Amino acid sequence: MNKQAWIEKAKELGLESFEIYQSLSASKEMTWYEHAMDTFVTSKILGTSLRGIVDGNVAMIALEQVDDSKMDSVLKQLVDQAKTIQTPEKVVFATPKPLEEKAVSSRQWVQPSMQQVEKTMDKIEEKCLAYDPRIVQVGYLGYEEGKGAREITNSLGLHLEDEDQVQYLVCSIVALENGVYKDATKVEVVENFDTFDIDAFVKEVCQEALDQLGARSIPSTTCPIILEKDAMSSLFGAFAGLFSGDLIAKGISPIAKDLGKKIFSEQVSVIDDPRDPNALSIANFDDEGVLTKRKVLVDHGVFEQALYDIKSAIKMNTESTGNGFKSGYASPVSVQPMNLSIVPGEKDLDGLMEQMQNGLVITDLMGLHAGIHFVSTQFSLQASGYRVKDGKRSEPVTLITIAGTFLDLMNHVVAIGNDMDWTYKQVVCPSILFEKCAVSGE
Amino acid sequence: MLKKEQLEELLTLCMRSEADFAEIFEEDTNKESISMLNQVVEGVDRSQSSGVGIRLYKGVQSVYGYTDIEDMDSLKNVIADLVDALGPKDEGVKVQLKEEKIEDKHPIRIDPLASPLQEKVDLLMEGSQAAYEASEKVEKVSASLASVHQKVQISNSNGRLVQDDRHRVRMAISSYVSDGKTLQSGACSPGGSMGLEFFETTSPSSIGKEATRIALVLSQAKPCPSGKMPVIIDNGFGGVIFHEACGHSLEATAVAKNQSVFANKLGEQIANEKVTAIDDGTIPNAWGSQNIDDEGNPQQRRVLIDHGILKSYMIDTLNGRRMGMASSGSSRRQSYKYEPTSRMSNTYIAPGTDTLEDMLKGIERGLYAKKMGGGSVNPQTGEFNFAVQEGYMIENGKITDPVKGASLIGTGQEILMNIDMVGDNLERAQGMCGSISGSIPTDVGQPRLRVKEITVGGTANE
Repeated sequence: MNKQAWIEKAKELGLESFEIYQSLSASKEMTWYEHAMDTFVTSKILGTSLRGIVDGNVAMIALEQVDDSKMDSVLKQLVDQAKTIQTPEKVVFATPKPLEEKAVSSRQWVQPSMQQVEKTMDKIEEKCLAYDPRIVQVGYLGYEEGKGAREITNSLGLHLEDEDQVQYLVCSIVALENGVYKDATKVEVVENFDTFDIDAFVKEVCQEALDQLGARSIPSTTCPIILEKDAMSSLFGAFAGLFSGDLIAKGISPIAKDLGKKIFSEQVSVIDDPRDPNALSIANFDDEGVLTKRKVLVDHGVFEQALYDIKSAIKMNTESTGNGFKSGYASPVSVQPMNLSIVPGEKDLDGLMEQMQNGLVITDLMGLHAGIHFVSTQFSLQASGYRVKDGKRSEPVTLITIAGTFLDLMNHVVAIGNDMDWTYKQVVCPSILFEKCAVSGE
Repeated sequence: MLKKEQLEELLTLCMRSEADFAEIFEEDTNKESISMLNQVVEGVDRSQSSGVGIRLYKGVQSVYGYTDIEDMDSLKNVIADLVDALGPKDEGVKVQLKEEKIEDKHPIRIDPLASPLQEKVDLLMEGSQAAYEASEKVEKVSASLASVHQKVQISNSNGRLVQDDRHRVRMAISSYVSDGKTLQSGACSPGGSMGLEFFETTSPSSIGKEATRIALVLSQAKPCPSGKMPVIIDNGFGGVIFHEACGHSLEATAVAKNQSVFANKLGEQIANEKVTAIDDGTIPNAWGSQNIDDEGNPQQRRVLIDHGILKSYMIDTLNGRRMGMASSGSSRRQSYKYEPTSRMSNTYIAPGTDTLEDMLKGIERGLYAKKMGGGSVNPQTGEFNFAVQEGYMIENGKITDPVKGASLIGTGQEILMNIDMVGDNLERAQGMCGSISGSIPTDVGQPRLRVKEITVGGTANE
């Protein structure tokens, strides 16, 4: 692609500013089943997204086949699209700014050979099946590695590029007892296969499935609950849109008018930091070329800062926070958190259970795409976990729902745990003990 | 798209390996999305995606490679990786393709992507305005119109060469009403494998009005009570209950590796005898229809459950090998970036004869779920959940107050046996279904039906 020629042609056709975003990604994936390779997938994708501005309005065309000879027709189409948009805000693309301190990931990736991956997966399968007679199947065992490079160039002289990498294992275990199946899945980011602790991995995933055997529903009640870190991260992730400057500008976010006000319990502080070196992915700039930064969104319960991309920042008369990201090169830019977390507290999970004495620990939430109503923050979600009696773990529980209003729940925090870890997620929380929650069951 | 001779060369290369089957899936897809907020056009985005996915089988092993770099050298590099993974051979069969012409059972009249932008903006404006004007309480309306045109060409080492052309449109409107304190939203989003003529029979204003109607009901709704109770689920999107509770567990993806509660149950009674369930990918211009599946097999009508007896699964070729059964034309994928697997198309429960009056009779306390939201299932355990978008209490045989914040949970095995009444008002509704081969359009559907007992998750415990 002759980028300079595209930029010049864009100017000639009346685009005020023009941006070229490109991503090149390559991945390899292997799954293992019954001591043999089950599937193998390899890919290489080059994607290009073009954005142009006419009269302050931005339109986008994403392409997988860029043909310089079709420059004229593609750009005319882009002009046509931009002219159809009628928003009053006048968008301007990012101009080059010096990066004062470059954030660097703490990850030390050592790429394994496929033979090493096969050997590791075979061992995992064997050890899982030998772990306990009630483990009847390793239902899914897979490895995936991916590398990506992105490049942003615009007509205002901006040119940025970076690279990203990831490699991880996924394992799903099936346990059977008295004719009832239970399963558990674990995703583990593996920086180096030479130092990967297979036994610890096997123990964790197998134990999770075994612990759910014999789980039953309980009668409906309202009681104290602990949302264990993964369940808490899922629920918080589903409401991450609360902080979206776009939804705030549109008046759709339930906290749209609450800047500077207390929205959560004073124990809760929330941070968004795309530059956190401990997170799985880091970014020094967003997908519009705006430099990223650490932001305290909620400080001891008070809503201090929202997230913005360029367009929503203009709507709200402020500056982009560097949170304009794409879900893929072909997606439009939208406001998204990157490495969003609730600041951990003091106690570990056992300490939280001790404090709660009697109640429920929820380890898993399902149906998050359907069971939440964003504008009212109501949720009603299928859940599983275990009972806590006299501060100690008791019998497993399944086929219940927990329901309530997220903003109300976050105002009834009793204690925040210290067990947060970044794993593979971009929204993470420690376990949190709540005063009460409605639980539905038998 | 690649020429026949190029495909023959590539497929022949694929077969110089331990593979016993090779397939090339090519795709050229154009999409457009127009979004509007409060009757102002906010965004117009387009995308063009084209690439190639190459798959080789050796028994029940599969290797898959995909790329959007479509020159012959790049494709040969992908094949070299795949051949290497399965094991190379010096010789193999020389593949010769025979082009098959298929009849287009889902023709369109007005190509959405070729139509002027203003025409589509006008349609959105009509829907958006209708949503606004439906009530003074409406504060915001967001609306979007998505158009997709996917061209595919599928060839394989058995000599098959076939093409399909798929169009679809969908309008989604969300209406936000305020009770003075908080917002409530209602949404309506119908679509079809059609062109803009879709909106001649489903008018944009009907979509907007429906979105506002739901938002208004929710703004007056009380918290839903919890516990086990009888539930009447109305027609249309109510069919998500079958989709989640049972449909996914009848896909070969789950059945082939014995990871479904319905594995090894063919011929057995798995549902109440009033239940007949069908997955039909041939319904003309329906949202989940195709002429051929994504392996090039003709789409079919599949009777899954006949009067309670499990008759068939939804099967793709690879899982069919594991199961010793033929493909049922059920192999689907979001794009060439996904290896295809068995998926649903338009899945529904066939109509029965029970009336609403009969269903209400004898219910002292229950839930009438008029509109459902989405849900999810774990096929291994059969445990499912789905959200009630618009619900009402049933008290002493009568439908009473609206309730909000409810979800239904249970296991597929139980709920199929617990459907004790089936009405006659079959209707289908549109959804996007996510699974390992990506997000694909599927219809869910059912007539009104009654589940004699299911766990309702609500908040009103006290």
